[in-house]
Amino acid sequence: MAVDTGLFVAITLAYLVIIIGLGYLGYRQTKENDDYMVAGRKIHPVILALSYGATFISTSAIVGFGGVAAQLGMGLIWLTVLNIGLGILIAFVVFGKRTRKIGSQLRAVTFPDLMGKCYGSSFMQYAAGLVIVVGMPLYTAAILIGGAQFITSTLQIPYNTSLIAFAAIVALYVVLGGLIAVMYTDALQGGIMLVGMTILLALTYIKLGGIVEANTALAGMSDLVPQALAAGGMTGWASMPALGSPIWLTLVTTLVLGVGIGVLAQPQLVVRFMTVKDTRSLNRAVLVGGPFILMMTGVAFTVGALTNVYFYQTQGVIALQAATEGNVDTIIPNFINASMPDLFVVVFMLALLAAAMSTLSSLFHTMGTSLGFDVVRRTGSEKASMRPIRVATVVMIAISVVLAFIMPGSIIARATAMFMGLCASAFLPTYAHAMYSSRPSLRAAKMSLIAGAVAWFAWTAFVHIKESEALGLSDFLFGVPAVLPMPWQVVDPLVIALPLSAAALLVGWVLDRYGVPVEKGAEAA
Amino acid sequence: MFGIDDPSILVGYLLALGFTLACLVYGLLNWNNGVEEQRDGS
Repeated sequence: MAVDTGLFVAITLAYLVIIIGLGYLGYRQTKENDDYMVAGRKIHPVILALSYGATFISTSAIVGFGGVAAQLGMGLIWLTVLNIGLGILIAFVVFGKRTRKIGSQLRAVTFPDLMGKCYGSSFMQYAAGLVIVVGMPLYTAAILIGGAQFITSTLQIPYNTSLIAFAAIVALYVVLGGLIAVMYTDALQGGIMLVGMTILLALTYIKLGGIVEANTALAGMSDLVPQALAAGGMTGWASMPALGSPIWLTLVTTLVLGVGIGVLAQPQLVVRFMTVKDTRSLNRAVLVGGPFILMMTGVAFTVGALTNVYFYQTQGVIALQAATEGNVDTIIPNFINASMPDLFVVVFMLALLAAAMSTLSSLFHTMGTSLGFDVVRRTGSEKASMRPIRVATVVMIAISVVLAFIMPGSIIARATAMFMGLCASAFLPTYAHAMYSSRPSLRAAKMSLIAGAVAWFAWTAFVHIKESEALGLSDFLFGVPAVLPMPWQVVDPLVIALPLSAAALLVGWVLDRYGVPVEKGAEAA
Repeated sequence: MFGIDDPSILVGYLLALGFTLACLVYGLLNWNNGVEEQRDGS
């Protein structure tokens, strides 16, 4: 790190004091179960927007995907298009309003609870809760790994200590302060991220001589694309890969569609729609949310691609060659360290810490409430009780920490894309049906959820080469790393599983609509 | 335009900016709408 570690430690400590203070404020304001679960349904729209955005954008989105933009170029801007168009506009206007209204009427307090109450089915609540409890720890562990790696590299604290301390600090305010503490701290963290990314964009273009000059220089570097990437279809850093090539398929299906669509059905984001008192708050949050996301992923992807110009002009190498040990996750930090003033390095490092903490706190809360309220609480009162949910949150945090010690460090961006793909495949059609049907079909929902989750898993384990090779199931059962040839091996599981999930929903709905009998009691709503 | 020649990249940037603008306009136009919906039926 180029900057004085003492300065960064001092600023980090001050930041942590404020975070703990906000956590304490959340704890003091948490008097009832609704406060703990859905922030009392009275969160301010600006806090909602910043919390939603800060949860949405993890360190992985900035450093991991910024590094991918350094490798593959500006084509990743299409993910920003989806991030804003789907992740904010459609999410808030189409889904958010209905979610808030129905969630408030049914007194739903978690995403699985919302599904269970919309369909009048314990199965839906339990199954959605299980998907979260099983799938989310992998994503959470990846965020933990990213945060711990970052703390280790910037503060020179041993990795294991970093990981445990990072988890413990976030756990403290999540467990005690619930969603109010999570959203208050998210809002501060979102503010820090906004400042950091705004300065990063401005300084990068100033450093490279202006917008047109920098972009023109990047477009002129197309003959420097490494042979291996050119063979995969890459044409330059300021142009899209060749249509249908393996790199185009990875860029479009996994990075743009997989992550872009996946955000629509993420439980930790959906629950935020139920934290405001009226639709007006959602309308106001849209105004803040759109520009916030533009300044996060739009800046990360643009600056990521432009690092090629900087490294070429100053060191005669492309960004990939400037990466430490070939790891694309190091490109953005290396660029910041090499090119930015010391004070900004501190601001940016703080922004990365804030991004990791804001995502992590929301995942801790969602996992804890899912386990404690949706999965374990199968008997007794319908009302949420804070103590078992706090205990469940601690359990889920412990599981995530253990997983973080087991999982490889290179899994961060992949685990993010996998979790988003799983959520969209399993939940999106069912969620949309619940929000927009006056009499949602339970049979259709069950078929969709199961078809989506199973198809996603099958494609992940047996076809999508990056995961199937690592998991080894395909090799164990069939003696090959993937059962289908190229180009299927680079087509993201979401692109297959989501249409199947939607088709299953449609079939189930048609069967219900045209009177095909369903098992007794399943329609009890 | 802006030093980017590939139309598919340029359109991406324009759409990203356009959606951001749409968020701003939507938020402003609906700034005071939706305040009386708390007790509505669904």
